[in-house]
Amino acid sequence: MPSGPVGKSDGRAGKLHLHFIRSKTFHWTAALAGLFAIFVTVLFAFVYFSIDGYLIARSDRMITTQADFFAGLPQERMISALGDHLEQDSRGVQFSGVFDANRNRLTGNIAALPDGVDVGSPARSVPLVRLDSKEAGATSVRTVARRLANGDILVVGRNVDETAEVFKVVGAALALGLLPAFCLWLLAGAWLSARARRRVEEVNLRVQRIVAGNLHERLPHRGVDEPFSRLAAIVNGMLDELETTINALAGVGNDIAHDLRTPLTRARLSLERGRTNATTLEQLQVVVDKAIAGIDQSLAIVTALLRLAEIENSRRSSAFGDVALGEMLREVCDMYEPIAEDKQIALSVDISDKLSVRGDRDLLLEAVANLVDNAIKFTPRSGRVELALLRGHGETILRVTDTGAGISDQEQEAVLRRFYRSDKIRNTPGFGLGLNLVSAIAKLHGFRLIIHPGPGGRVEIVCPDEQGGQT
Amino acid sequence: MTKVLLIEDDNETAGEITAELADRGFEVEWSADGLDGLAKARDLRPDAMIVDRLLPGMDGLTVIESLRKDQVRTPVLVLSALGAVDDRVRGLRMGGDDYLTKPFAIVELVARIEALLRRPPETRETTLRVGPLEIDLIERTAKRGERRIELLPREFRLLEYMMRRSDQLLTRAMLLEEVWNYKFVPATNLVDVHMGRVRHKVDGPGDTPMIQNVRGAGFILRAVS
Repeated sequence: MPSGPVGKSDGRAGKLHLHFIRSKTFHWTAALAGLFAIFVTVLFAFVYFSIDGYLIARSDRMITTQADFFAGLPQERMISALGDHLEQDSRGVQFSGVFDANRNRLTGNIAALPDGVDVGSPARSVPLVRLDSKEAGATSVRTVARRLANGDILVVGRNVDETAEVFKVVGAALALGLLPAFCLWLLAGAWLSARARRRVEEVNLRVQRIVAGNLHERLPHRGVDEPFSRLAAIVNGMLDELETTINALAGVGNDIAHDLRTPLTRARLSLERGRTNATTLEQLQVVVDKAIAGIDQSLAIVTALLRLAEIENSRRSSAFGDVALGEMLREVCDMYEPIAEDKQIALSVDISDKLSVRGDRDLLLEAVANLVDNAIKFTPRSGRVELALLRGHGETILRVTDTGAGISDQEQEAVLRRFYRSDKIRNTPGFGLGLNLVSAIAKLHGFRLIIHPGPGGRVEIVCPDEQGGQT
Repeated sequence: MTKVLLIEDDNETAGEITAELADRGFEVEWSADGLDGLAKARDLRPDAMIVDRLLPGMDGLTVIESLRKDQVRTPVLVLSALGAVDDRVRGLRMGGDDYLTKPFAIVELVARIEALLRRPPETRETTLRVGPLEIDLIERTAKRGERRIELLPREFRLLEYMMRRSDQLLTRAMLLEEVWNYKFVPATNLVDVHMGRVRHKVDGPGDTPMIQNVRGAGFILRAVS
C-alpha cells in the first residue's frame, strides 16, 4: 500500500525516498495510519455484522409467522394463498412449497424437500433449489418447516439478500473512505519527515558554518511557538553567550600578548643597546640585569596565568582541613603591617569570634593576602584598611574594607576579567590577575566572592556553613 | 667534594644545572632516566639529589619513595613543571625535602641545594651567635655587641632563621616559605620591606653591614667581626 506516495517520490529522487522511509516521523505516521485503518475496518465489520444479524432475525420472524399462518389454513386456501404469496414476490426471494410424506412436491417453487429440514424447529439456513431459478445449484436460505394436519410438509423460506447489499455498501464505503485516507496519511508522513529533514539539513549547514568559525551565524527559527523554533531559539541564546565569551577570551589573548610584550621589548632594547655600547664588564652586567628583570617579569605573568588555570581546574582537595580564620587574618595583617606603615595606612583586624572553615589553608591565605595587597595598593596615603571576620546568616564572612576609590558599578564584572586594570590605576604595578585568583580560590572552596560598589573598597569572601561550616 | 645526583630527562635543563653546580664546586652525576637514577642513587651515595617529577622509566616521586623505603635519607629537591595545588604537598609527603616549580632561576636552585646540604643541626642551645650578633631564644632578645636590638616578633623570627643559616644565600621565595609559611609569591615585595626593617635595626650607623642584598637573588647574613 505505501507504494503510492513512495513510488512517486522514488521517481523524483531515489535518495530522498530512502531517507524519509527511514525517518522516524514517517514510521510514526505510517504506524498511525495502519492503526487507524485497522480501527475503521473493525468498526465497519461491527456495523455490518450488526445489521446482518438484525435483518436475519427480522426475516426469520416473518417466515415463521407466514408458515404458521399458512399451516393454519385449510388445504385449498393454503395452496392458493401460497400461489399469491409467490406471485407477489417480485424480487424472487421467497421460497415455499408443500411436500407429501413421501417427499413429493405438491406445490410451490422449491425443487425438492431439502434434507436438513426439521419440522417445527426455529428458522435455520438450508440449501434450497428454486424451480424457476436461472442459475443451477442450491442457495442457502433461511427456512422453517411445518407439518400439516394431513401429514404433508409445508416449507417457507426467504433469501435474506439484503445482507449482501449491505456488505456491498459497507465495502464500497470502506474502499472509498479508507484507501484515500490511508494514502493521504502516508503522504502527510512523507511530507512531515521531508520537512523535518530539510530543517535538520538547514541547521546542520549553519552549524557547519559556526564550527568553521563563523560565530555570527544563527539557527533559523520562525518565531512561532513550536518545539523546533523554541529549540533553535535556545541554541541561539547559547551561541550568543559563547560568542561573547570567545570574544572576551580573544581580548584576554590580546591583553596577555600586550602585557608580555612590554617587558620583553624592554629586555630586548636593553640587550641591543648593551651590545653596541657596553665597553666594560660592569656596563654589560647592568644591561644583562635589566634584561633579566624584564624576562622575569614576563615569566611572572606566565606563572601567574598558569597558576590561575591550575586553581580553576582543580577540584576540592582531599587535603582540605579546618582553617582557623582569625589566626590566618592576623598572620596576613602581620605580614602587611610594615608595607601599610610605609604608606601611613592604618591596618587593623577585627575578629568577632573564633571561626574556622574547611579548606586549603595555603590557598585561603593567598586569597586574603591578595585582597589586602590590593587594598593597600589602591588606598591613598593616610587611609585605612580593615580586615574583619564575622558571622552572617549561616555563613562566615571575611571582609576587607579600605578607604580607596573602591570599585564602581560599571567595573564590577570587569575586575574579574583577566588583566583588567581600572584606567584610574593604569600606572600602579601589578598584573591585574589578583582578583581572578581570589575568585578562583573562592570558587574552588564553594565560597562566594562579593565585590561591593564604591566609594571605598569592600570585598567579601562569603563561606556558607554547608560547605564546611563553623566549629 | 660534595656529590649531587641530578635525575632530569631534559638534556638542556640538565646541562645548565650541571654546569652551574660544577662552577660552584659540586661534583655532579647526571641520569636521564628514573630507573637508572635510582640505581645511581644507591651506588654513588650522593650528598644531595635533584629529581624531576616526570621521568621516563620511573616517576620521580616513586624513585624518592623507593629510596626512603631503603632508609636512604639523602636530601632531595623535587623539580616539577606541574605546580598543581596538591602537587607540592604530594611531593613533600613522598619524601622530597624541597620543591621547586619550573621555570625557576638557577640561583634559586643553587640556593635551595646549598640549604639542603647545610641543614642546621638540631641544637639545644638557647642562644644563637653570628659574629657580633647574638639572640636569646628564651628571652626573645637580640643584641649586636653591646647594643640591644628591639625587634618585633616577626622581625625576631626572620632574624632567627637567617642566623641559623648564616653565610647562605636565602632567596625571597625561601624566606616566604620558611619564615611566613607562604606558598606563593605575593605581588608586593613583602620580603624586602621586612628585611629593610630588620637590616635597619641590625646594621646601625657605623656598623659593618651584616645583611647583604644579593641583586636579583636574595639575602645573606654574613658573620663580620
